[in-house]
Amino acid sequence: MNFSVKALRDASPIMIAYFPIAMTFGVISVNSGLSWFITFLISAVVYAGGAQFMLVSLAVTGSSPLSTIVTVLLVNLRHFLYGTTLGPSFIPWSERMKLLYAFGLTDEVFAMSSSRIEQSTPIPKYQLTFAFACYTSWIAGTAVGALIGSVVPTEISTILNFALPALFLALILIGQRSTSHLSAAICGAVVAFLANILHWGSIGIVAGAILGATLGMLLQTKMNKSRQ
Amino acid sequence: MVIFSTLWLQTVIIGLGTYFIRSGSLIGAGRINWSTWFKNWLSFVTPAVLGALLGPLLLLPNSHWEPLFQNTTLWSAIPTALVAWFTRNLILTVASGVVCFAIATHFF
Repeated sequence: MNFSVKALRDASPIMIAYFPIAMTFGVISVNSGLSWFITFLISAVVYAGGAQFMLVSLAVTGSSPLSTIVTVLLVNLRHFLYGTTLGPSFIPWSERMKLLYAFGLTDEVFAMSSSRIEQSTPIPKYQLTFAFACYTSWIAGTAVGALIGSVVPTEISTILNFALPALFLALILIGQRSTSHLSAAICGAVVAFLANILHWGSIGIVAGAILGATLGMLLQTKMNKSRQ
Repeated sequence: MVIFSTLWLQTVIIGLGTYFIRSGSLIGAGRINWSTWFKNWLSFVTPAVLGALLGPLLLLPNSHWEPLFQNTTLWSAIPTALVAWFTRNLILTVASGVVCFAIATHFF
């Protein structure tokens, strides 16, 4: 079978999943007061689900530009792991091809690729078609959501706002769910909540991230030691 | 009035930063050996950030404290969390969460 056709067939579950999430993003973003252009720009250049919702929510609540940038980039730091995990299989690829592929390396693309790539060297035609098919679905969904966003009734857009906490909950609970990972999440939540109560603003998210991650790692080390 | 004047710039910086994280690690993977503890710490950053974002959203909906019994966001999070835990399905979790929240807002 042709590599492009095979890639499109394999990418279809991600494409089907991306479209409604991207559409919800478009609706929420436009309803929060952001322009169609900015909404589309966010999907086109950031291209990372949770981080995009977060960017909109931080912008709307008036978080400072610096803390918004730091917070969103901290969330996207996990992509560093994806690159380092897949990297060795891509050594035969040219730098130009790697640079192209890296743009489309999202959570879902990584999850699908990492399980297949271990078996054989990735083929550029297949991998690039796969990654950009997912990207096309994401920006198409955003465009549709942003277009219909302004005509969606207020009650529905208020209800759709719950998509954001639901998405975060899902990302925490369907990911790695060891005691140490869940403790990292709870610690982050408590620190950010306290910072909010004390009016420390979005510093709480950065502090929660650093303290939570450190606690998670220490807990894991301690649990591994006590097991031995 | 929310000022979005620099939002396009923030978006571009975040976009470039995210791309740098993705491409730098993919290209660097063949050349640099990152220490195990650093990679391990990174794997905890995502749940910690997600928790930090979620905490205030659930406990301080509309940016202020609401009595627990009236906090529909918090109550809707419980069935949503159960769906996430048992199905491990992103779309299903978000969809059922929105439905639970719609029901909670309508009846309470």
